Amino acid sequence: MSRLIFNRRRFLGTAAATGAALASPVYLRHASAQSGGEVNIWTYNDFVPEAFREQFEADTGIKVNVRLVDDQGKQFNLLAAEQPNPTVDIMTVAGHRFLQFIENDLLAPMDADRLTNWGKIDPIFSEGDWATINGNKWGVPILSGMEVLSYNTEVVSEEEAQTWDTLFSEKYKGQNAYIIQDMLSIVMLMKGYDGNFIEYANDHERAAEIMAEVQQFMIDKKPLVRKYYDGGAEFQQMMINQDIVLGHSWNGPAAALINDGFPLGMSIPREGSYGFVYTFNIANNAPNADNAYTFLDALLSSPEIGAAMTKASGFISTYKDVAPHLTELERKSTSFPEEQLAKLQFFRAEQNELKYSLMDPAVEAIKAA
Amino acid sequence: MTEESSGRTFWGRLAAWGPYHALMRLTTASPRRQFLILAAFPILWVLTQHLGPMLQMIRVSLTDAYPVAQGVEQNFTLDNYARFFGDSIFWMPFFRTLIFAGVFTFCTLIITYPVAYFLARHVSRKNQMLFLLLLLIPFWVGEIVRTYAIMILLGNTGAVNLLLKSLGLIERPIPFMYTSFSMGVGIVYLTALYMLLPLYSALEKLPKSMNEAAADLGAGAWTRFRRVSLPLTIEGISSGCTLVFLISTGFYATPVLLGGPSTTVFAETIAGFFHVAGDEWPTGAAFATIMFAAALVLTATFQKLMSALRKGEKQ
Amino acid sequence: MNDRPELFRGNRIFLACVYWAFVLYVFVPLILMVVMGFKDSKFIGFPIRSWTLDWYTGVFADAEVLSTFGYSTAIAVLSTLISVFVGIWIAVMLEGRRFWGRTAVFGMTVLPALVPGIISAIAFRIYARWLGIEPGMGAIVWAHAVHNVPFVVLVVMARLSTLPRSQIEAARDLGADPLISFIRITLPYLVPAILGASIFCLLLSFDDFVRSFFLGGYEPTLPVLIFAKLRSGMSPEINAIATIALILTAAIGIWAERFTRRMNKET
Repeated sequence: MSRLIFNRRRFLGTAAATGAALASPVYLRHASAQSGGEVNIWTYNDFVPEAFREQFEADTGIKVNVRLVDDQGKQFNLLAAEQPNPTVDIMTVAGHRFLQFIENDLLAPMDADRLTNWGKIDPIFSEGDWATINGNKWGVPILSGMEVLSYNTEVVSEEEAQTWDTLFSEKYKGQNAYIIQDMLSIVMLMKGYDGNFIEYANDHERAAEIMAEVQQFMIDKKPLVRKYYDGGAEFQQMMINQDIVLGHSWNGPAAALINDGFPLGMSIPREGSYGFVYTFNIANNAPNADNAYTFLDALLSSPEIGAAMTKASGFISTYKDVAPHLTELERKSTSFPEEQLAKLQFFRAEQNELKYSLMDPAVEAIKAA
Repeated sequence: MTEESSGRTFWGRLAAWGPYHALMRLTTASPRRQFLILAAFPILWVLTQHLGPMLQMIRVSLTDAYPVAQGVEQNFTLDNYARFFGDSIFWMPFFRTLIFAGVFTFCTLIITYPVAYFLARHVSRKNQMLFLLLLLIPFWVGEIVRTYAIMILLGNTGAVNLLLKSLGLIERPIPFMYTSFSMGVGIVYLTALYMLLPLYSALEKLPKSMNEAAADLGAGAWTRFRRVSLPLTIEGISSGCTLVFLISTGFYATPVLLGGPSTTVFAETIAGFFHVAGDEWPTGAAFATIMFAAALVLTATFQKLMSALRKGEKQ
Repeated sequence: MNDRPELFRGNRIFLACVYWAFVLYVFVPLILMVVMGFKDSKFIGFPIRSWTLDWYTGVFADAEVLSTFGYSTAIAVLSTLISVFVGIWIAVMLEGRRFWGRTAVFGMTVLPALVPGIISAIAFRIYARWLGIEPGMGAIVWAHAVHNVPFVVLVVMARLSTLPRSQIEAARDLGADPLISFIRITLPYLVPAILGASIFCLLLSFDDFVRSFFLGGYEPTLPVLIFAKLRSGMSPEINAIATIALILTAAIGIWAERFTRRMNKET
């Protein structure tokens, strides 16, 4: 029984989040006079900090209904099945998937002028070139993710992690894993191509040629891979079980492992990588659009709320001045050296149709090979 | 005894009760009318509840765009079906799924038959329920949680490898995960129950005396099994296999989580049309239609085969 | 001739070994699951460096998880009742009868079981909207009930096919009409099949994620909650939730078994 330790880590985490919400109600009280009713949100687990939610409900009288989703595709399907009379006001879309939602008339343009706290977002995220489509803003950036090379620091050296080639080396045969879809654009970067397909907008033949080359490369390397995975939880489990020692992953799940004390390193290799931003969006024909704006403005009011989201998800906050509210380890797991960040570019949605028309069959072909 | 007689009076009284009697007279006047009354509700149910949603899906599979974006005209087309037949990369997961489903069904049958046999024939009647319940408990754990438990059982630092290592049997961990083996371990978990219960209920009805009589005639264990137990439990085998086969064709999470790079199943391909790129619902719907048509044909063939077999045994 | 008892014993020992090996196989992952709920870390897996009770106590303190459990149980029970009722009716109509279109009706009966989860979920969602069913508990119960009917039909038909016709005929000779002979003879004979089918239905409903997700409202069922939590990693919390759900269902099951047994004794 002496080994049974009652640990308080989880409860400390909640306490910190409560502090974050308590620090922010000044603005909210201001808004409460005109409101009431409810706001319906579709989001991932822990993306709306619980303490903030309670505070917001108490201050504004608006009831927050959260429906948990676990993947972008299902969310899209659900919303598409519900339109034109959705039950949702706010949902969580990955920035590079905007276009799909916009083309299907599922999103309403975001009126940034109605958000007094818009300026509290880091301009890198609020004014990025991916964020404006058809002349409109479409979402409030909340968290940012990127594709990284994650490695077990007890086996793989920092030196080796500086290139994506290591992922395909004989040395780590059967000890690596990646998501095929995401890896395709990374391999394009490795070979000096544009994984966003913007350069090939007018030359579909060239695009098809490149995709065929990338596909062949992935098929040739198939004997080396341990697992094509889908979800962050799978990646974490493979690392813990030491089924793999390195792999491609999103930074959020990797950061969560680091914060739990697992000997994991992350790098943005020299060939570069892609990043994206999670945004809160307002649905087209949202039943409570006004409440949705009130909610979003309140969410942006304090960097502590942003920090609470980062603590829960492992993704990087889009808020200004979040760093003071994070622990040493959390800061470490959500920051990268300048020279690595310089290699990062954002996913762009403009050529998604071309991109996916080539990538989807490639994914099937690689799986079938 | 009192229960029996009082029950009989109740039913007897009901049968003699005027309005009930008249109603029965009316509804069972002719076999034809009796059948129509029996059949009306089931047929209405399958048409509206079973076929209805599927017809909606088939309608989607024949369109070129769904959900329909603003300003886009929706046309009817067969392209989505042509896409399957036109591209061989889709055949592989399709046939793999059918073969897997067949193999899983067979393996599950082989594994669970002795278990059901032991339960039904060698455990005293008093304890049978207890022994059966014991087996059912683990199946109440959700698929996902159980699948992750299998990962920490078979992983490189999993329970099995830790055990083998501490016994000094291995130096380096054996990579069990992400192979057909780990997938099989997970799948049998999903299917065993659906085989076990029909087999058990078939074997449980089998009179013990029959086996003993056969043994008295000098029949060996194998002959006894083949000539006595097997034919009499064919009903249970057939219903168990049908259940397991049907379920196997739709497996998604377990093969995805436990399988290796070369074990893609068709459900995964179909889900891909709904997940990754979006806008491909019609193709996904068409592929799903192809899948369930194939499964339906195979199941029907299997049922025909089984009933032929049954007739053959009876003669 | 003397070797026969030994032969039987040999068989018996072999079969017992197979049975206990099977028990081991189904229980080891279960035990791992329960143990991992005590791990003091955010992820499950070996090695376990320190232990904690926080995950388990946390589940009991979390009103959301408990209400989710109740919600899932209610859905499972309601949908099972509907499936069993409809399933028996369809099975009675199909078994041993020949009529025009029987194959078609049988095909339509098993249809819901043939469609991959995601497709059936979306099909149900579109159809529910077409029928004007609001997403929420009613819609989930409806989808689960329809999806589970084929399993009831198959199991009940298998049992029905072995019902000795002579029993029904004897009852008829004694003047019982079809309804009474069904209730007095057929139904009691079907009890094991109905129990088995109910277990399938409860299980399928309780573990269903994709239909519950598409047809549900803002209240998650247990699998929906677990999937959402899985997004931030497979933590011991999920294992604790699953373990407690298992214990609660087992308790309900045992209570129900005792209760029916006592009822039977009293009447």
